[in-house]
Amino acid sequence: MTTYMWALFAREVKRFQKIWFDTVATPIVSTVLYLAIFSVVAAGRTVAGADYTAFVYTGLLGMMMVNSSFSNPAFALILSKNVGTIVDIQLAPIAPWKVGIAYAMAAFTRGLFTVVIAALITIWFIPGIALMHVLVFVAAMFITGLEFGMLGVIIGLLIKNFESFTLVMTFIMQPMIFLAGIFYPLSSLPAPWDYLSLFNPLHHNINLIRYGMIGYADASPLLSFAVMLSISAILFIVMNRIAVRSLKQ
Amino acid sequence: MKALDVSDVTKTFKVKQGSRIIANDKISLKIDEGKIYGLLGPNGAGKSTLINIISGIMLPDHGTLTVFGKNIVTQTVEAKKMMGVVPQEIVTELAFTVQEILHYNAGMYGVPFGERAKLITQVLSDLELEDKRNERARNLSGGMKRRLMIAKAIVRRPRFLILDEPTSGVDVALRQKTWELVRRMNKEGMTILFTTHYIEEAERLCEEISLINHGRVIKEGRVSDIQREFSENVVAFELFDLNVAHLAGVAADGKEFHLPITELDKDMSSVIRHYGSNLKSIKNEAASLEQIFLKLTSQ
Repeated sequence: MTTYMWALFAREVKRFQKIWFDTVATPIVSTVLYLAIFSVVAAGRTVAGADYTAFVYTGLLGMMMVNSSFSNPAFALILSKNVGTIVDIQLAPIAPWKVGIAYAMAAFTRGLFTVVIAALITIWFIPGIALMHVLVFVAAMFITGLEFGMLGVIIGLLIKNFESFTLVMTFIMQPMIFLAGIFYPLSSLPAPWDYLSLFNPLHHNINLIRYGMIGYADASPLLSFAVMLSISAILFIVMNRIAVRSLKQ
Repeated sequence: MKALDVSDVTKTFKVKQGSRIIANDKISLKIDEGKIYGLLGPNGAGKSTLINIISGIMLPDHGTLTVFGKNIVTQTVEAKKMMGVVPQEIVTELAFTVQEILHYNAGMYGVPFGERAKLITQVLSDLELEDKRNERARNLSGGMKRRLMIAKAIVRRPRFLILDEPTSGVDVALRQKTWELVRRMNKEGMTILFTTHYIEEAERLCEEISLINHGRVIKEGRVSDIQREFSENVVAFELFDLNVAHLAGVAADGKEFHLPITELDKDMSSVIRHYGSNLKSIKNEAASLEQIFLKLTSQ
């Protein structure tokens, strides 16, 4: 990263640190609550040969990375458009794609903060869990953070107010999250839903994260990896176009 | 090389029913390096649109713009590196401290991490904000926020500084301090373009100005030349005793008498010699920029 990009990235990290209770503590609390309930209710149960609590645990970590990395840039950009501070970015000599990547990197950083802290707090619910494929897990988390960070940048640049942001969360993000296999394996779905779920891009992120952590995969990890890279490339192109258009009027 | 070269810039905006309003209509202006240049015009004249285009945050429909030879539309990043812009609105990250704002802002303009502290100390001293270094922006007064906006733009000492109504809504003392700062920055070599509603400001600071109205430049040039062009070309004087023989060409205008100027020094001397101790006052009335502004914008 150049000095220009790094400064913008650092500014965004500082911004979410300043409101850490909203940005970091809140998702951690909700994840801890989820796991506390699942570990009690589903203790000893298995799904497709995997411990159900561990299955949900990995899905929730992935969901946390998705939510944090998506909402961080979207929220920051909508707010800055509404209060006028977007002009700081418009005036700065930073190419639009670099602005987008700086925001997406900050988004990943916020996701990393929340995931690491939540994982450390909640790992006591799943005794004996260990990272099976460390590199796959790290790569999956990194790509997921960047991917949904870029999506957050796109949404943040496109929409004008927080009411529209709520609509995006309700009608796009929530269905994607609930149909991504976070709480259940695809094999438990009747046809054609199990097949159709493969077209949900988020399913592949959760699938690869879960494979990296507990070695369980609903679909081929290689397929998921390829889908994630392809979606990231498409999002990068779209983000750049929208940033070029949005940062100049 | 010109610091700023704007040529035939046109910008229109869509309004209802597919029609368009023209904000800038073939505007051209050139600013030499090291000058203080004023952009004057009534509300809605098109000044801010032009400033936004020059700043690289708005695209013109037609025309070319360069800052120190860098094309603002096609070499935007390179052009922006040379510019510092103080927007009209006070907008800044309110949760950040003054130091944090300046630190990240300098970084976003490429100032290396290690050099920022020195520059921040300097700019805080320039703007008398040293004791507010660790204060959150939301706790600053309106005047201090205005100074912070200027600090953001000049912290890295850009070659070309744009001030969009920097003294709008500030008290007299702060306005004077802003003028001093503008002069000091200019002496350091910064080329400055600013828009203002305060004609007095332009009169005091600028060597050259452009008057804009309805999106067009209606007058441009050196302030002194424009004033000369619009001045009443007369020697105006008052007398203690009105019952005296007058010089040829002298006409009464209320309590004053006017002698048309053919050659200023010579005509002034003639009046002084002729009326001697009977002269109560004598002046060559130069038109103020305010008078010129009102005259041109009311046409």
